[in-house]
Amino acid sequence: MALRILLADDHEIVRRGLRALLEKHEGWEVCGEASDGREAVDKALQLKPDVVIVDIGMPNLNGLDTTRQLLQHDPHFKVIVLTITDSDQVIREALDAGARGFVLKSDAARDLVSAVEALQNKRMFFTPRVNDLVLAGFLEKGQKVSRNEAPKLPTLTAREREITQLLAEGNSSKEVASLLNLSTKTVETHRSNIMRKLSFHSIRDLVVYAIKNNLIQIELPPPPKSPTGPTAA
Amino acid sequence: MTIRILVVDDHPIVRQGLKTLLEGHSGWQVIGEASDGAEALEKAGELNPDVMVLDVTMPRMNGLEACRLLRRQYPDLEILFVTQHDSPQMMREALEAGARGYVVKSNAARDLLAAVEAVSQHRVFTALNERTYPHVS
Repeated sequence: MALRILLADDHEIVRRGLRALLEKHEGWEVCGEASDGREAVDKALQLKPDVVIVDIGMPNLNGLDTTRQLLQHDPHFKVIVLTITDSDQVIREALDAGARGFVLKSDAARDLVSAVEALQNKRMFFTPRVNDLVLAGFLEKGQKVSRNEAPKLPTLTAREREITQLLAEGNSSKEVASLLNLSTKTVETHRSNIMRKLSFHSIRDLVVYAIKNNLIQIELPPPPKSPTGPTAA
Repeated sequence: MTIRILVVDDHPIVRQGLKTLLEGHSGWQVIGEASDGAEALEKAGELNPDVMVLDVTMPRMNGLEACRLLRRQYPDLEILFVTQHDSPQMMREALEAGARGYVVKSNAARDLLAAVEAVSQHRVFTALNERTYPHVS
């Protein structure tokens, strides 16, 4: 019986690349695709895939919260998180969310097949770049805060994180309400609670928080070209 | 019409996706791949492509630097940026560097074929994300 895989990434071009890579493997089938976390959760519940591959930086619902929601619905889901960064914080959050695989996007062509094979064989897979000490430290010490980690802010609920991401992505409260099938008043209440909990006073603070906590990701432009000096005579 | 294309992106999985999409078009051929700007320059000399599909943010040499050098060395080569940067400023910089086209990665599956078609005929093709910049696209 074929191993059925669901792909979730907001870039169709990446999904095409992943599909081409995975379908070369005999006995594997990409049973569906999703372009954001919310669609991934819906499709996973509908299609019951054996493995779900989620990009960490998706709009509407990021990959980590997608993983949390999937496992809340059914703890048997096997999720591989695809990420552009292997920072300690992201690794910890992916493990904490319940991901069983962690692959850097830049290494996906090399590591993703191994990751899916590992999950198929009821093992976990973490990209070789993941620092063994970080992993060991996390597994041994649980949530213990390392020296380098930023002080913890008050914890947001899953719903508050969803709303924070959507607001930080530039949606108005009305748009958030429409996306989540809530009333605008309910969203406004959540928004006030979030701002109060985090002691924030502006949407700018919320955007910075969302970036720092991997709720949204941004790509920085390359550094400006170096100024051209005077031509030698 | 046969179009010979070189695909340049630091993520192999993105190159694979672009290649799959481009090779779905009859007569178009992806003749090579490169993972940064410096390699793009080498391969351009070696393979002489008609169109180069180029990322902006890459290690060693970014796409903008590569584009400026390519423009000088290979004036017949048409350059099309496919990038994460959904920004009019970046688009302007890319066109100033000598590119003929600019497509946002999130819309590449929709815009790429039309863009390659246009730049291969020496026409400009630019498309940003309508939701973010409705006045620019």
